[in-house]
Amino acid sequence: MEVEELKIKSCITKYNYEKKALISILQDIQEEYNYLPQEALNIVSKTLGIPLIDIVGVATFYRAFSLEPRGKHLVTVCVGTACHIRGAPNILEEFERKLNVKAGKTTGDGQFSLETVACLGCCAIGPVVIVDGNYYAQTSIRKVDAILKKHRKKKK
Amino acid sequence: MKIVIDGQEIHCEGEQTILEVAREKSIYIPSLCDHLRLTPFSGCRLCIVEIIGRKGYSPSCSTYVEEGMEVKTKTRGLQKLRREILELILSEHPNACLICSEKDNCDEYKSTIRKVGETTGCVLCPNNGRCELQEVVEALKIDKVRFPSVYRNFEVKKGDPFFDRNYNLCILCSRCVRVCHEVRGASTVSFVFRGSETVVGTILDKTLLDSGCQFCGACVDVCPTGALTERALKYETLPDKETTTICPLCSMGCELEIKLKDGRILSSRPSGTGAVNQGQACVKGRFLIKDLVYSPKRIHKPLIRVNKELEEVGWEEALGFVAQRLKKFKGKDIGLISSPQASCEESFLFRKFAREALKTENIDSPAHFSPLATYMEMARVNGLKPDLNFRIKDISEAKVLFLVGSEIAVSHPMIWLEVLKAVRAGAKLIVASSIESFLNRYSSLYFQIKPGSEFYLFSFLCKAFLEKEQAEDISKSDSFEPFKKSLEKLHSSQVFEFTGVREEDLKDATEFLFREESSIFLFGSGMTQSPFGSQSVSALWNLASLAGARLFPLGLENNLRGEFEIGEKFSRKGLTFDQIIGAASSGEIKALYLAGPVPEFKKAKMEFMVLQDSFRSENIKMADAVLPAATFAETDGTFINNEGRIQKFGRVVKPVGEAKPDWWIISRLAQKLGKKGFDFRTPSGIMEEMKKASPSFLNVSYPEQQKDKAAFIGQEENKEKKFLPLTFGRFLVETSKTYPFLLCVDYNLDFYRNLSLSQEIRGLKILRDSRWIKMNSKDAERLKLKEGETVVVESLSGKINGVVKISGLIPRGMAEASLLWNEEADFSVFNLFSPTPQGVHFSNVLPVKIKRGK
Repeated sequence: MEVEELKIKSCITKYNYEKKALISILQDIQEEYNYLPQEALNIVSKTLGIPLIDIVGVATFYRAFSLEPRGKHLVTVCVGTACHIRGAPNILEEFERKLNVKAGKTTGDGQFSLETVACLGCCAIGPVVIVDGNYYAQTSIRKVDAILKKHRKKKK
Repeated sequence: MKIVIDGQEIHCEGEQTILEVAREKSIYIPSLCDHLRLTPFSGCRLCIVEIIGRKGYSPSCSTYVEEGMEVKTKTRGLQKLRREILELILSEHPNACLICSEKDNCDEYKSTIRKVGETTGCVLCPNNGRCELQEVVEALKIDKVRFPSVYRNFEVKKGDPFFDRNYNLCILCSRCVRVCHEVRGASTVSFVFRGSETVVGTILDKTLLDSGCQFCGACVDVCPTGALTERALKYETLPDKETTTICPLCSMGCELEIKLKDGRILSSRPSGTGAVNQGQACVKGRFLIKDLVYSPKRIHKPLIRVNKELEEVGWEEALGFVAQRLKKFKGKDIGLISSPQASCEESFLFRKFAREALKTENIDSPAHFSPLATYMEMARVNGLKPDLNFRIKDISEAKVLFLVGSEIAVSHPMIWLEVLKAVRAGAKLIVASSIESFLNRYSSLYFQIKPGSEFYLFSFLCKAFLEKEQAEDISKSDSFEPFKKSLEKLHSSQVFEFTGVREEDLKDATEFLFREESSIFLFGSGMTQSPFGSQSVSALWNLASLAGARLFPLGLENNLRGEFEIGEKFSRKGLTFDQIIGAASSGEIKALYLAGPVPEFKKAKMEFMVLQDSFRSENIKMADAVLPAATFAETDGTFINNEGRIQKFGRVVKPVGEAKPDWWIISRLAQKLGKKGFDFRTPSGIMEEMKKASPSFLNVSYPEQQKDKAAFIGQEENKEKKFLPLTFGRFLVETSKTYPFLLCVDYNLDFYRNLSLSQEIRGLKILRDSRWIKMNSKDAERLKLKEGETVVVESLSGKINGVVKISGLIPRGMAEASLLWNEEADFSVFNLFSPTPQGVHFSNVLPVKIKRGK
């Protein structure tokens, strides 16, 4: 995807060129491109006068940001305490097997990115899996295939 | 204010931390992340103390003292906590040697040397013996680490010049991150990732070279472990002696600490007490000194030409040969070139030698290439006596800084650090240059002006100011009316067209510039060497007078100011530098005595040439006698830096081979020529005579009332405000169809005497090669050129070779090359300039064409 300078600039203008809005700006860019392209970060660095390395520091600090292109669909498996004791590690492993990628990576065909999260705050319905914002409650290994199938079909 | 530390009553001043106060009183509190010149970080938690009446423990590095505070630093509880914290730090740092029971024994007998590997012990650590972690472990008497040891298993990063980065040894103290950001303003490294994965990293794990690092070595100097280590020091023994000297590689003269072992230089570090640099240096002072002194190009013995071949001879024979040959020439047939890198004593003696022993006035140095020379010439023509002395501190105290024509972060790193301090304190930085600097993010305003058009910009700003304000006190000056009248001929449309600056940007500039707060204008060779340099200096003078700003030229070589002071005192009757070179090529000058840099000249018709230098160069092929001179590290003397500060330096090591100091060579040669008054035994003897001849060396001033008495050279100044009327024609450097590129030539300071540092020292060549032709990626694409390819740059007068370097900072349609003395003929930028009867007409902007080379 080509990075358009104007698009990035508009993300920055929205926050009135304030340095403290960096995280919001990065979120908007991530929204637009699904990841943080380096050219985009260069433009942010130059426009806001923040050293590029500091932006990278912020982007690597938060799991929500990705510096590599992500898949069309984002699979997030909760591995917080409550989900953990209800078998989240097994579910994660199943996803890894089915998608043939490690957590934190993207499948070769660019369809799915697999990520983990520490707790979503909805422990009552755990183990929880989120795919593109859809919550799947009380998941188990057996449900993994169905979840993937459902989203694979959907053209985003 | 009174506080109590460990029962000891201490008087202290306000803004100090507990740790600072304790250090002053020699109360030891262990710490790892704190550093004298950095803001407190409280990362390592080792410096925790108990404060009576406060809950818990406070880090003393970031707790400021308060009236009546009672602090305890050595309770059992604290020591226990500190040990535990240190054990945690050590669990991620190789520690087998630190806590080994055989430690003391091993230091002497190396009894267990083979029992530990690099991943677990100190013996193979490049920083062994220089490590702060070792000291703290010693102080806290750790003998056991109860936590499992974790080796992070990072690959050692060896892709950069000068130093390696081994983050397996890193304790995340953040000193390197802070020094890079706070002190140097480069922000090359920072923490990346989070929690247990945190590591110091660059942008997307690129090499430092690709992240904009200038290799100043500040991070290496502050690193408390072996994570960052100078490659040249790896597996070197510890030094046995330490001494200081003055760096001769730019106009600021940083004080360097030289570490020696058995009379051999191990390394150079910036000295913490240096008045100019205060613990900072640049890549040259930090990493190149040793390679420079022990360069394989050093000349070890005197050489004389016998039957067309140079032969090694003794000093007596060589000096006898030179004296005998020089005697045959009349004074007017001899030319001498001195070096602005030699000490004041040597410059003085060389001039005395020329006049008294050789009876010639034809002596000059290339000092006239400098902004200082253009400035002084402007002052002389207009009868001005400008203020030249300043203190580097003044820059950090300024409120408005205007910077023209210099990439100071590279050419004057120490001035840049002061500018950065000022910016951090809220000063406005305004930059005008043709080529964008990578540090422009600190500027409040940046004008990317077309090369050579500074003159219009300054005059426009004057005009804009005068239209708005009534400058009453200034208008009384006689010169004001003609000046104001001359501005009427300047049309704003002209200004926008010629400079390429937008109107709205200029509005802000007048607001900042005329704030009537302490402002300093600095200008570099990028402005003065342009074809309209002298007009630009006059225009800038007017602007500075209107704005009430102090105006200073940025010097080039280390002793340029001294050379200038000495040169000025001798009446100028003889040929100038350009004329000497021109006359030597045409044969008008029959004998040439070269002790300074010259562009390579091919058609030399001289009868006799003496080369007095430390390094072999192409010129040696033409020389009839070569006298090996000592480098700055092997002699003593005085430099005068850009500020006007008198800097004395002492001998560090014995001269290499049979090399002798320049003053020794010249005085012996004069004696051989039968001259009296040259029997000097030390440079201080010469200094005494120089003080008599040149009163500015006698009338020194001591503006900094300090114990060490920082002396500044005397100057006459005249504070009268005078304005210089200007004429405005169409002064422009224009490209044509045949020569579509504008080449900006930057004066390259990466040399010492005849040694081109970037050609001889690999690390510097990777960082900034003097043969680079920098250009925009789009232009390169259009010409189908890739980085690293050879190109031919052709001007109306000649052509040179170069190496393509893609740079995003160069605007389209422009290219940048650097001008280096002693460059090989095929690469020498001098070839692009047209030779005139007066020598070479030099300007830093010229239209060229660029095409692929072979």
